[in-house]
Amino acid sequence: MVAFRNSDPSGRTSGLLLRCVLYSLLALGLIIVDKRYDHLGKIRRWLSIVAYPVQVAVESPFAGWHWFRESVTTRDALREDNVRLQADLRLAQFKLQRYEALESETQRLRALRANTADVASRFVIGDIMDLDLDAFRERVLVDKGAHDGVFVGQAVLDAGGVFGQVARVEQLTSEVILVSDPAHAIPVQINRNGLRTIAVGTGDTSRLKLPYLPTSADVVVGDLVVTSGLGGGFPAGYPVGTVSAVKRDPSQSLADVDVRPAAALDRSRELMLVWLPPSPVLPTAAAPATGGAGPANAAPAPAGKAAAPGKAAAPPAAAKPAKAPAAKPAAAKPPAGHTP
Amino acid sequence: MMRDDPIRRLPMALSSLVALALAVIPLPAALDVFRPDLLVLVVFYWSIESPRAGGLTLAFTSGLALDVINGVVLGQHALALTLMAAWATHLRLRLRVFSLLSQSLTIFALLTGYQFILFWIDGATGNPVTSFSRWFAPLVGAIIWPLLAGALGRLNER
Repeated sequence: MVAFRNSDPSGRTSGLLLRCVLYSLLALGLIIVDKRYDHLGKIRRWLSIVAYPVQVAVESPFAGWHWFRESVTTRDALREDNVRLQADLRLAQFKLQRYEALESETQRLRALRANTADVASRFVIGDIMDLDLDAFRERVLVDKGAHDGVFVGQAVLDAGGVFGQVARVEQLTSEVILVSDPAHAIPVQINRNGLRTIAVGTGDTSRLKLPYLPTSADVVVGDLVVTSGLGGGFPAGYPVGTVSAVKRDPSQSLADVDVRPAAALDRSRELMLVWLPPSPVLPTAAAPATGGAGPANAAPAPAGKAAAPGKAAAPPAAAKPAKAPAAKPAAAKPPAGHTP
Repeated sequence: MMRDDPIRRLPMALSSLVALALAVIPLPAALDVFRPDLLVLVVFYWSIESPRAGGLTLAFTSGLALDVINGVVLGQHALALTLMAAWATHLRLRLRVFSLLSQSLTIFALLTGYQFILFWIDGATGNPVTSFSRWFAPLVGAIIWPLLAGALGRLNER
């Protein structure tokens, strides 16, 4: 009724059914191949190069607006910024002095434990492209891709902490899945006592969950949650967030723990894509290292926590009876010192 | 089928490209769930207006473009859009004589079918999005259909 001009709409749409079936089968085939076999990486990359101009065209007015706003900031604002940044820098440098000493100490300690130091070795700054990918998933597009050596699973940080990881790499761009995506999980530990668990996204950029902590777990509001480095995807020791709520229902076996992400998931524009150094001794060193992490990290905790080191030390001893005599005294020493 | 009317290609391609760009333009998070599937509406319009000008090919390529630009499993939007565009083409004679309200209702049904196929493939590929808000888009799409059809009709008249 409205706006249809074609005088001959009844013209034969010859083979509508045939073409529909053909295209549908093609699409179904694509879905299956893309999902099951991962052979479409190359095709995707080429298609994404075709899509790139559209993405840039959509993004450029927003990027232009940012540029414009930056260029018309007043002298006062700039000076204020400058003063604030200098103060920040002084503070950061002050902290850094200690950090360097701490890092070399950590290196030494790690060398003692025959573990590799998984501190980030190289990083590249990527800008978030101003595009909405999917309203129901927490993903962003970054303007670095396979061209810059980005790979799937790469850790992504921002100034505050862990931001997410690379989910898909195109030629010139890559898609980063945020830690808050419901499909994302990251191995973490509570910084205060070394308690290891997994942080899962909720779909809300201001909240993560720790769904696998028992009701009796020692976690309180305000605890810093850092990456544990297990699994090898993320560097260890980077802040993921702080515990914002702990709900314990005695009738449930698991506690309800919320974490406020440390990264500015909804505000960051610049991200760091991180390369970890290759870890040569990971498979053999992993078992004793994780077992040893319990007592080593829990040692400074109050004596009431003595149960935790004991529990953590048990599996390695049981797993390797041959080595038990050698490992036992070393592992047993800290708890022995604490137990009255 | 494509030789008869070469003139119609330009508005078709142009409107699809603009709709594709609008599909990823940043919106405030509160409005994002209400973003209508403009490209889908555009494809429906051309399927009804000039079924012989390759509406299904447009549907398939547009769907593929949405897959690539949204970063979902390749073929998802292509499948949904192909099926629904075929249905729209099938219904075109009736749609043309419908009142605006009935047109919008039919479009709502088509958009809901489209969204359902996406929903189903999301679930089948292991990323289910169960949020109720995904069903807002068809509603908004049906509401803006008369405006869009009018605008595209004006474009086509040139």
